Amino acid sequence: MTDTSERTDQLEGQTLAEIGADESIELAEQAQRRQSLWAIRWILFRRSLRHNWALFWENRIGRFGLGIIAFFAVLAVMPTIFFATGYWNPAIYDPVTGLEPNPPVQRFTVVNEITDPATQIDFTRVLLDNRIPNDVLPGDVVEIPLQPAPPDSRHWLGTDPLGRDVMSQLMHGARAAFFLGMLAAVVTVVIATIVGSVSAYFGGAIDAFFMRLADLLIMIPALAVLIVIGAIFEFQLWHLAVVIGILSGFGGTAIVLKSQALAVKVKPYIDAARVAGGSNTHIIVSHVIPNVMPLSFLYMMFTVTGAIQSEATLSFLGLLNVRTSWGLMLQLANNQGYLLQGLQYWWLLFPAGVAVTLLAMAFFLVGRAMDEVVNPRLRKR
Amino acid sequence: MTQPRPSGGAAAVTRRPLLEVDHLVMHYRTKAGEVSAVDDVTFTLHEGEALGLVGESGCGKTSVAMSLLRLLPDNAEYKSGEIRLEGVDLLSLSEEQMRRRRWSDISMVFQGAMNAWNPVYKVGDQIKEAMDMHFEPRLSDDEADERIAQLFRLVGLPPEMAGRYPHEFSGGMRQRAVIAMALACDPKIIIADEPTTALDVIVQDQILEELKKIQRELGMSIIYISHDIAVIAEVTDTMGVMYAGKLVEFGPTVDIFGNPKHPYTYLLLSSTPSVTGPRRRLAPLEGEPPNLLNPPSGCRFHPRCPFATERCAVAEPPPEDIGGGHLVACYHWEQVPEFGGLTR
Amino acid sequence: MTRYVARRLVQMAFLFLVFLTATWFLLYALPGDIVAQKYATNPNIPPEARRLAMERLGLDKPMLVQFRDYMVNFFTLDFGYSFNQYPRPVVDIIKERLPRTIVLFLTAVITYYWAGFAAGKYLAWRRGKRGEMAITVGGVALYTVFYPWFALIMLWLFASQLKLLPLGKFLDPDKWRNAPYPANDVFLRMFWLTLITSVVVFGIHLLARRIKDRTPRRLVAWAGTVAAVVAFLGYWWVGREGAVMRPYAADIAYHLILPVLTLTLVNFAGIMLLTRTSMLETMREDFILTARAKGLPEHMVRDRHAARTALLPVTTSLVLAVATVIDGGIITETVFSWPGMGEVLVSSVTLGDIPLAIASFSFIGVMALVGHFLVDLLYGILDPRIRVTAHG
Repeated sequence: MTDTSERTDQLEGQTLAEIGADESIELAEQAQRRQSLWAIRWILFRRSLRHNWALFWENRIGRFGLGIIAFFAVLAVMPTIFFATGYWNPAIYDPVTGLEPNPPVQRFTVVNEITDPATQIDFTRVLLDNRIPNDVLPGDVVEIPLQPAPPDSRHWLGTDPLGRDVMSQLMHGARAAFFLGMLAAVVTVVIATIVGSVSAYFGGAIDAFFMRLADLLIMIPALAVLIVIGAIFEFQLWHLAVVIGILSGFGGTAIVLKSQALAVKVKPYIDAARVAGGSNTHIIVSHVIPNVMPLSFLYMMFTVTGAIQSEATLSFLGLLNVRTSWGLMLQLANNQGYLLQGLQYWWLLFPAGVAVTLLAMAFFLVGRAMDEVVNPRLRKR
Repeated sequence: MTQPRPSGGAAAVTRRPLLEVDHLVMHYRTKAGEVSAVDDVTFTLHEGEALGLVGESGCGKTSVAMSLLRLLPDNAEYKSGEIRLEGVDLLSLSEEQMRRRRWSDISMVFQGAMNAWNPVYKVGDQIKEAMDMHFEPRLSDDEADERIAQLFRLVGLPPEMAGRYPHEFSGGMRQRAVIAMALACDPKIIIADEPTTALDVIVQDQILEELKKIQRELGMSIIYISHDIAVIAEVTDTMGVMYAGKLVEFGPTVDIFGNPKHPYTYLLLSSTPSVTGPRRRLAPLEGEPPNLLNPPSGCRFHPRCPFATERCAVAEPPPEDIGGGHLVACYHWEQVPEFGGLTR
Repeated sequence: MTRYVARRLVQMAFLFLVFLTATWFLLYALPGDIVAQKYATNPNIPPEARRLAMERLGLDKPMLVQFRDYMVNFFTLDFGYSFNQYPRPVVDIIKERLPRTIVLFLTAVITYYWAGFAAGKYLAWRRGKRGEMAITVGGVALYTVFYPWFALIMLWLFASQLKLLPLGKFLDPDKWRNAPYPANDVFLRMFWLTLITSVVVFGIHLLARRIKDRTPRRLVAWAGTVAAVVAFLGYWWVGREGAVMRPYAADIAYHLILPVLTLTLVNFAGIMLLTRTSMLETMREDFILTARAKGLPEHMVRDRHAARTALLPVTTSLVLAVATVIDGGIITETVFSWPGMGEVLVSSVTLGDIPLAIASFSFIGVMALVGHFLVDLLYGILDPRIRVTAHG
């Protein structure tokens, strides 16, 4: 008897007000028939997922964000297909070691005094330029390989100053961004959910400790910390993901999830579970955490946005040891002075910058849309 | 507290009419279509009279109140009718003219006094703001402070509270202050929209007493809006019963409580328990209020009415005077039995 | 209010100690010590010299002693010498750079907070009209834009295409060749005068609030503000030193425009979106209806009631945004070569100038904490509920 009532209580907890009480009772009866609580949980989970998905899909902004994410996901998968089918030759298209062997060339006449910069080149510069044989004299015509080269049929987005394919770098950059963003988000949410649930459930000194820590982490500029850590340690992509995850997991996200967990803690089914003799661990794992989950999922999105931007910024500052990333593409172009020439080298200026912005924005928009699903307060007024 | 006030009703009829609502029709435009929120409502408020509007939530009583101030949401549309205040049709005024009349002619005691105050300003300053708008010439700060102190004394608050913030007031004190603010510009009419709903019972009673006292002393006209028929019974001279945007019964409060003639009023009263009267079976009101997007044809109450005939579904009953200013909009009012519930 | 301030101060002091300790542990955990990094790779340096160096740097002492030394040094403002600008003491560099960063921040924060609030207010008021989705997406795009890239585009657009503004840096060396004053003197003069003027204006407004009647109150506030501004301008145009310094000061101010504009644009969108949401929520409150019923004109309902109340959550967000703005500042300074704390941090870190890096990092932490404290105070002033609870 106690068993049944406890189950019903649990079920009511998990429905999150999206499914009527009648339905949960009916489901509880089903549960007894099947003798499996997890089966019911699964049904309820699927139901609330379907319901929330419908709510989410109504939101144009959310759909827009999801579309962008899908686009970049396709980009991230493409190189694998291209290399596997042999459409791309790794020697040319590899994002790091690839090199275009036959770049377009431009012909210059070597002169002592330049009168027409478009067709003439200074003799002294020829001697310093290692792309040109040294035995030329003024009056000769030299062919200079054009790197970075503008887009053509072989390189859809042109090549970078080192003769590598920009499209391939962009695709590999998408891959890096997804890997980093997802890893950082998972680390954040795992930490924040545990910290939030534990501090809400136990309160007292544990709570005070974690919350002061969170206060501190919120106040300290994360980028400054990452710059210093990046300078001290050899920073790789997954290191960065973990550090971002830790900073945000113990920081702001923990505070938000704790307040959610506090709201869960006072629900009757927690008392019911306690009266029924559930251990602390059991209650946290099977009652508190599942109810904090939807919000965790939401904060994953915001973490991804932050992680993508942090990575790009650190790469841009040259503090990250990564193979390819969007930030690195911009760093190279900027260090070689191509960016301030603006539209003339647009294929160096735009793809990476727009990609970082768009993907970060997409996750943010999805997060906003999910926020409206999770917080009924924000729904269409 | 459920006894209607025996005095007042008869005397009020002879007074000068102050506000006349004349065949008012108001719709809300929504995505799903037009919602007929107020349909052909007519009543008159006399000088010094306390008038009550009662009905279930969503019956249009608050829409009527807000129409008087022209404070309806943007999607509201006045279809026809007039609201005449001392002969001037408020609906024909420009927005600016109307704005000048708000609070100086008609002020309001809002429901949920909790949220009627802006949390970031002192209560006195919020009252002063209303006075600044409407007093010509503007009062000096000292005069304004003096007036606020007077108002506070009138509603039973210590005058120094005017310098405090809303969150420092208790619920009842806040509602008293709301009444003080409503009186600030000497309005001709005060609309009290669910003035006591959010308060606990004892405070409710105090606030109602306060309002009654002020009305007597200042000779104000008040329109009470409430879903709580007991409140209406206690404080009004005249009352109207609204159902689904229609005024179904209107007349002196004593008459309506003693002798309800519209089936809806009858059922509404029967479903209200009486504390002091004899024990009786409560008759629950069956069914749901109609959807105003698509109101029932004929009499809007007919789907729930025990006396309904075919005629009720076809034609709309006009209000009929059954004597003493008691108006009933029902074809079958004569069949409604004697009511012996609340007053005995 | 006093108690509220005191409590926040104690909290800040505590958090600052925790921050310093954490920083120290981070440095203590350095893979290998500094000496090892500098000397170990060089086989010509005998182990004896290494030991001596360790001793001289105090690296052979026990952990706790090192920690104590670090704390003592920090509070006596002794951060050692910069490796790359030897023998310049680190504290000198910080002293020079800190005001430059503060100016950049204050200007940007005040501008973006004000502009974002005004725009959000306007957007909320015309809710439901066309272009809402476009504005939201545009705002979010600006909010999540890849900041260094955006800064470069601004630099390219305004400096190299339109040639309206200088290409980064603090000043134009050509103009300063025969300058009678060092740049830092001119800058500090600008900094202090602006600060004093602002404080005076603020003080006048505070004083004016005590005047009982409306007309003299407004008169005093206005006259005071105008007088302060006139005095400020008078110094630069008429003052003996001021008139000489003016063209140089103008050059610095000219270089300040683009970084401030960029930092403002990026942060502005966040405040705008938040204000809009907050306004929309406030506008559903009953007191807005009360204000309308009182016969207040729409602009007063919007500004005095809706906007004033919507300001509270926006200010709360500012509490969280302090760190973000400082992050943005680091990037701004780096891209625009504005010689402030952020630029020092990045350059010292990339050049391996450890003492300078540590000190600048600590001071950025201090700035963040002080920023927080100020925003907390602002919130306390804006929300009477906090002000009064602290009384009791």
